[in-house]
Amino acid sequence: MTSFKMTRRHFGFLAAGAAATAAMPFAARATGGSVIAATFPGNWEDGYRSVLTPLVKEAGYDLTVAPALAQDQLAKVMASPGNPPYDTLLMSPGQMAVAIENDIIQKIDPSKLKNWSMLDPAFQGEYGPTVTVEVNGIAYNPDLVPRPKGYRDLFENPAYKGLVSWTGFASNTGVMAYTEIAKIFGSGPTDMEAVFKLFKDHPEHLKGVVASTNHQMTLFQQGEVAVFMCSTGNVAKLKALGLKAEFVQPETGSPAAPVNIHLTKGSKNVDAAYAYMDAAISKVAQDQLKMPPREMFPTNRQVELTPGIGAYVTRAQLASLVYPDWAALNKNRPEWIRQFDALVAG
Amino acid sequence: MKASGFPYVIPMLLLSVAFFATPLAVLIGFSFIGPEGVGFHNYARFLGDAFNYRVLINTAKLGLQTIVSTTLLGVPIALLYWHSGKTARQVIIFLTLIPMLTSNVVRTFAWIVILGRQGPISETFVALGLAERPFTLMSTELGLVMAMCQIDLPLIILPLIAILSRIPVTYTEAAQVSGAGPWRILVTVLLPMMLPGLLAGWILVFASTSASFVTQAVIGGARNIYVPQLIYREVGTLFDWPMASAIAVVLLLSTGILLVAMTMISRHRRLVGHA
Repeated sequence: MTSFKMTRRHFGFLAAGAAATAAMPFAARATGGSVIAATFPGNWEDGYRSVLTPLVKEAGYDLTVAPALAQDQLAKVMASPGNPPYDTLLMSPGQMAVAIENDIIQKIDPSKLKNWSMLDPAFQGEYGPTVTVEVNGIAYNPDLVPRPKGYRDLFENPAYKGLVSWTGFASNTGVMAYTEIAKIFGSGPTDMEAVFKLFKDHPEHLKGVVASTNHQMTLFQQGEVAVFMCSTGNVAKLKALGLKAEFVQPETGSPAAPVNIHLTKGSKNVDAAYAYMDAAISKVAQDQLKMPPREMFPTNRQVELTPGIGAYVTRAQLASLVYPDWAALNKNRPEWIRQFDALVAG
Repeated sequence: MKASGFPYVIPMLLLSVAFFATPLAVLIGFSFIGPEGVGFHNYARFLGDAFNYRVLINTAKLGLQTIVSTTLLGVPIALLYWHSGKTARQVIIFLTLIPMLTSNVVRTFAWIVILGRQGPISETFVALGLAERPFTLMSTELGLVMAMCQIDLPLIILPLIAILSRIPVTYTEAAQVSGAGPWRILVTVLLPMMLPGLLAGWILVFASTSASFVTQAVIGGARNIYVPQLIYREVGTLFDWPMASAIAVVLLLSTGILLVAMTMISRHRRLVGHA
């Protein structure tokens, strides 16, 4: 075997090179400072990085988009109180309730947002603006399975056997679907015993349980699954990738979740965070984010809906969507997570 | 001699205390905190649940299954290296190291394609008439062991190569001259000499497999739950850090006991004597 030789001179050069690399100056930064914004991975990360970065830059700040699921955002901020890793968080009411309870987000000052008045009052939250409303339903591959009517169909029609994927109770999308299933098969949205019994009676569905919606999209791409619980954004992304994917609003109604930007308590870049929030609710940003592959429902009144988004939901229909009671759900969620995990693992 | 060498290890010792021992002490301390006060409540809760026991056993089982599969594949590759010329040796080293230069996440996602319904394994079985219809190995223990085996294979090949490089090939020739057949040479000459390398590889493979969160979660799916996923669930979903610390300590102790046992075997006088 060829022996490895290194002289003291070589080692010296190597060490000097490493030191020089570490001492290299950072790229030029905007003068106003920078904001570290947590967004969901995938479509959100791509969209916010490409659309909002130039807008925030125009305002004189740098934007760093950090992808993390809402639960991970919470965990990381709770892990470093007083020195949060993100200046802003992106989350639905489920996590927002936990964030308020744990005192990690703060009320905002709307006077610092030029575009605040462009939002409907329903989207003007005291803890931050709503940037979109995610409409949930069922994604399916029309080449592999017939169009499902709703959640009941997935358990009762043999055409879906072994082709449906679910997530655990850690996923908001999963929880919203389970509350609807609990209404159908049980006594109400929190009757999860009925949901667990349904899965026990249909063990083929337990084989399709995975960790996250992103994982489900990977399996959908590979033809491993043909149906999963989704948001309209998930289907838009799959379609943009050239895949056969369609969105179905369940016959019992579509669960929906507003997505909000929150200012983290202890943020050291408050002005930059406001500039980012303002960019996210601006007409120019939402005009781009409503287009495929993102198809985010615009909360800025001045932004027209695309025909694609209009086919899922109109502004008039927003009120008729199903908005879960997250305070009630969060109370039982840890126990449901443990119970469901044990059920899935057999 | 002992005294003269000590000052050189002081920086490493300080770093170990600051960045390993202290965080570990914090983790252990945290595991005793809970809503009921300070005590063993988290351990009692964790060990009082039969589901958690099964997860613990499954984690150890996954590590042992990966050790067996990597050994069955790694030993022949290492022996091939030993018998090869200079160029072939470089090729084997290159092919062994290449997967290590790729991110574990990338390798894991590549396995989704391989293990899937439309993947090469399923299609080969269907084409050969060994399976009636396409099947998936995703979310199965077998699929996970296959992926872990490929991902951790370098960890067993490299220590074996390091051991074999020091042993002259003439040893097998001497055994042949003495009348030993190929199996006898393998069992009585080669394996005893390779044992320290094998044990080092087993320790690395076991430690890597039992903590491989990404591969376990992606390939194993939600049906195959292992201890790292439980820790992640407690930290990232349930925000119960003291419980997560207790589970981490249990994982540390259970894998630690196995690793210490393997290390003690690898230092056993009779075994080391063979090498």
